[in-house]
Amino acid sequence: MHFGLAKNSLRSLFPRRSVQYIRARRLATADSAVGLQNPGAYCKDLVRKHDYEGFLVSQFWPRELQGGYYALRAFYVELAMVQDNVTNPTIAKMRMQFWRDAVKDITNDRPPRHPIALALHEASQKSNLPVYHLKRIIDARDAELHTPVHLTTESLISHAESTSSTFFYLLLSLLSLSNSSTLSHAASHLGVAQTISTLLRALPYHAQQGRMVIPAEITAKHGVKQEEVFRKGPGAEGIEDAVFEFATLGNDHLLTARSIFEEKKVPMSAMPVFLAGIPISRWFERLERAKFDAFSSEVVQRDWRLAWRMWRGYYNARF
Amino acid sequence: MSFARPRVFAGLQHRLVLAPRSSVTRSQLLAYRLLSTSSNRHAQHVQKPELTSDLTNRTPHRHGVSTPQYDPQGNEIDPYKGGPSAIDKAVHIFFFTEIIRGMWIVLENFFRPPYTIMYPFEKGPLSPRFRGEHALRRYPSGEERCIACKLCEAICPAQAITIESEARVDGSRKTTRYDIDMTKCIYCGFCQEACPVDAIVETQNQEFSTETREELLYNKEKLLANGDRAEAEIAANLYSEHVYR
Repeated sequence: MHFGLAKNSLRSLFPRRSVQYIRARRLATADSAVGLQNPGAYCKDLVRKHDYEGFLVSQFWPRELQGGYYALRAFYVELAMVQDNVTNPTIAKMRMQFWRDAVKDITNDRPPRHPIALALHEASQKSNLPVYHLKRIIDARDAELHTPVHLTTESLISHAESTSSTFFYLLLSLLSLSNSSTLSHAASHLGVAQTISTLLRALPYHAQQGRMVIPAEITAKHGVKQEEVFRKGPGAEGIEDAVFEFATLGNDHLLTARSIFEEKKVPMSAMPVFLAGIPISRWFERLERAKFDAFSSEVVQRDWRLAWRMWRGYYNARF
Repeated sequence: MSFARPRVFAGLQHRLVLAPRSSVTRSQLLAYRLLSTSSNRHAQHVQKPELTSDLTNRTPHRHGVSTPQYDPQGNEIDPYKGGPSAIDKAVHIFFFTEIIRGMWIVLENFFRPPYTIMYPFEKGPLSPRFRGEHALRRYPSGEERCIACKLCEAICPAQAITIESEARVDGSRKTTRYDIDMTKCIYCGFCQEACPVDAIVETQNQEFSTETREELLYNKEKLLANGDRAEAEIAANLYSEHVYR
């Protein structure tokens, strides 16, 4: 009986699924100009597929800077995905080296014929994007290949500062606001909050792959056995407490980022950057409502009210 | 539980509130549906009692009859009284119940749809990660993705890939030759993983047997043709499993 059911459902599922994906792809790339002639369209497509929240944020960017935003976001997504697309750290290091060379060639006005590199080159012509920020992101991702698991929260925070915070610094310099130390300070805290929320959101996925994303310092404090998390997921002992502590750390950084601004009002010119805080705070709220069970379906599902929240947040200049 | 700082007040509240039941049943249902793929993830040791046959309990033995009785000629009277019947013995000696249980399974399956599939016309499901015949992809605008960076050539453990490239007028590089010796390839998928532009991929096609060896030495035209044929499928497979951190 079981076998019969499984087979029938498999047979009926598979063809339908692939047809659905093909249709989705057609819709997403309806515009046939996606390619080297139009690298911006490629980056937009990549961001929409792999970072939907980043795509929603892009709608609030000034039109003339949207191309640069998509290029930076696509660059960030591409680097973040490398380690999940490879089976071997050597291959990932080769790809990191490709990006290092690409960044060097972009500064020499000879970008490789990669749509993201072309788009980055275009963006760096328009506004001043510090190369060391790009290099810092690449180096941090490269270092992450060897130590995917963090032992202490300090090492995780320093990693977050050199990835997502650095990404926010790049966005600030895209808006020519990198001189303001207040904004940079807030961006560094927002970046840490973003990394923590991204890691916690992917906790079920990473647990399935046999990786523990919560620093060992925290899990050890609550007596979480890693193997139990990989096997039982939400049923593991102490995992909720560990998730709570880790999420609190992220939420504290978010609150700090908020409190830096007077009356929590972000200057309108910097709002496109800090809009990224809204999905993060929304996600922390949902995690709290689910009683810190990062595996529950309410937390894993996409938030349908997010677009509205972001629109409202943009006009209230709060995140 | 909430984010409020003093944990003493808010810390243990969630333990008192019962978790919603619906999500539990839902996850159980999901686990049941995924049984075929995740059996060993949920595997646990089951403490089974020792295997025993309850033959002694089921067959009335001669324990009740204390002493055999004999007729005047010295023959035992009714020696099988109180013992197992011939059918009882046959059941255990010839595995009658087992045979009948086996026959019952045969009968059940007689009325079910067959598990076999008519292979060339009907195909089993393949993982999106399946590594089959190679293909070179293009952008939707029709330009070749390959930028002749030669990372695939460098990583290939079987040295099956040969690339020659030339610089073009606009300073970019493009392959003039991209050969894969499919007889050398070990289908490890490293070329796909190393490619920074997702140009070389392994498609899900596993049916590319040829009559001569030469046909398995693929050139660029053949690989691009493969890519054009399977583009929708490749894009869907690449998208079907993406993660982001």
